[in-house]
Amino acid sequence: MKDKTFAIILAAVMIIGIGTTAALIIHGYNLWKEISIVEMIANWGY
Amino acid sequence: MDKKKLRKQLAVIALLIVMFAGLDLAIYQLFIKRVISHHSPGMQKMSVEVANYVPFTGSENIYPADGVQRLEGDIPTIDGAAALLPVYAGFVESIYPEDSVIYNGESYDHESAMHYTNTRGAYKDIVDGNADIIICAQPSDEQLAYAAENGVELEMVQIGSDAFVFIVNANNPVDDITVDQIRGIYSGQITNWSELGGNSMPIAAMHRNEGSGSQTALEKLMGDMPIVPDYTTLVGSPIGFSFRYYVTGMLAEGGVKILKINGIEPTAETIADGSYPVSGGIYAVYRKGETNENVYKAVDFMLSPEGQKIVEDSGYIPVN
Repeated sequence: MKDKTFAIILAAVMIIGIGTTAALIIHGYNLWKEISIVEMIANWGY
Repeated sequence: MDKKKLRKQLAVIALLIVMFAGLDLAIYQLFIKRVISHHSPGMQKMSVEVANYVPFTGSENIYPADGVQRLEGDIPTIDGAAALLPVYAGFVESIYPEDSVIYNGESYDHESAMHYTNTRGAYKDIVDGNADIIICAQPSDEQLAYAAENGVELEMVQIGSDAFVFIVNANNPVDDITVDQIRGIYSGQITNWSELGGNSMPIAAMHRNEGSGSQTALEKLMGDMPIVPDYTTLVGSPIGFSFRYYVTGMLAEGGVKILKINGIEPTAETIADGSYPVSGGIYAVYRKGETNENVYKAVDFMLSPEGQKIVEDSGYIPVN
């Protein structure tokens, strides 16, 4: 694989990975703001 | 040589993909899965189904008194805590004129005599003059300071009570806790469920927003002991707190268990006779020196046999 191709694939994986992680965190934060403490404990498991 | 380089490049790419997949899976398992609400969009937004507690809609969740004289003239604006919505909706349906309540399907109109902004908003609104009576638990020190800064003194009349309860996941084997152990948990001195007879697992001590009714109740229970933030929340098994009827009646959430405190279960009897150690008052709060006589009439109604029956029928403990 040429170095340029490798760099492009690496960059694409990084962008998709970071984007997905950021989206998950933002989505989780929005859910966390709206859920009641009672329901959160019910979801938590033990 | 080229094959060796290619293997290295592919290994780096594969490693990155596995790392991101692992990280995202961990975020989902530790965080997102725990904060997904199984309730309706209304409850997700407001913690309670506001639409189920709108006066004059024939709601089965409101218990108005019959044949009581309604207020006339300057109708006081009433507001309050989420957990007490059934109580003041019952008062409003009993003594307020029907046309004084304006609900647009999602929220109360600015002109409506009934509002719902929850404890934090209600304490702000009574000081700012946007509400005339609020039905809430005790104010926090911050809320009292805000009133003092604005030259407002709050008159508080107790109209009922409820238990301040501590809840755990239904699968947690611990059933009983003491007041000292609660203080130990929230001050960071007790950090593992094994210290309370449970399995060896960190305690995730959950909090609410500053100024919420239940967070203020915790602060009062802790007294001079500082509440220490818990940074192990994501890996431990949780304990949280709320008011009894909010858990058992309004949310009816079966996935949680209310702990006995000092061996006493919070029931109507143990709250009323004071044997349950951490009961909390429900208050009608208004500005001292209030000139609208309807405010006093409304509070008198709340303390009357008819008003107290609304408190009781709504799931709380009356004072009279």
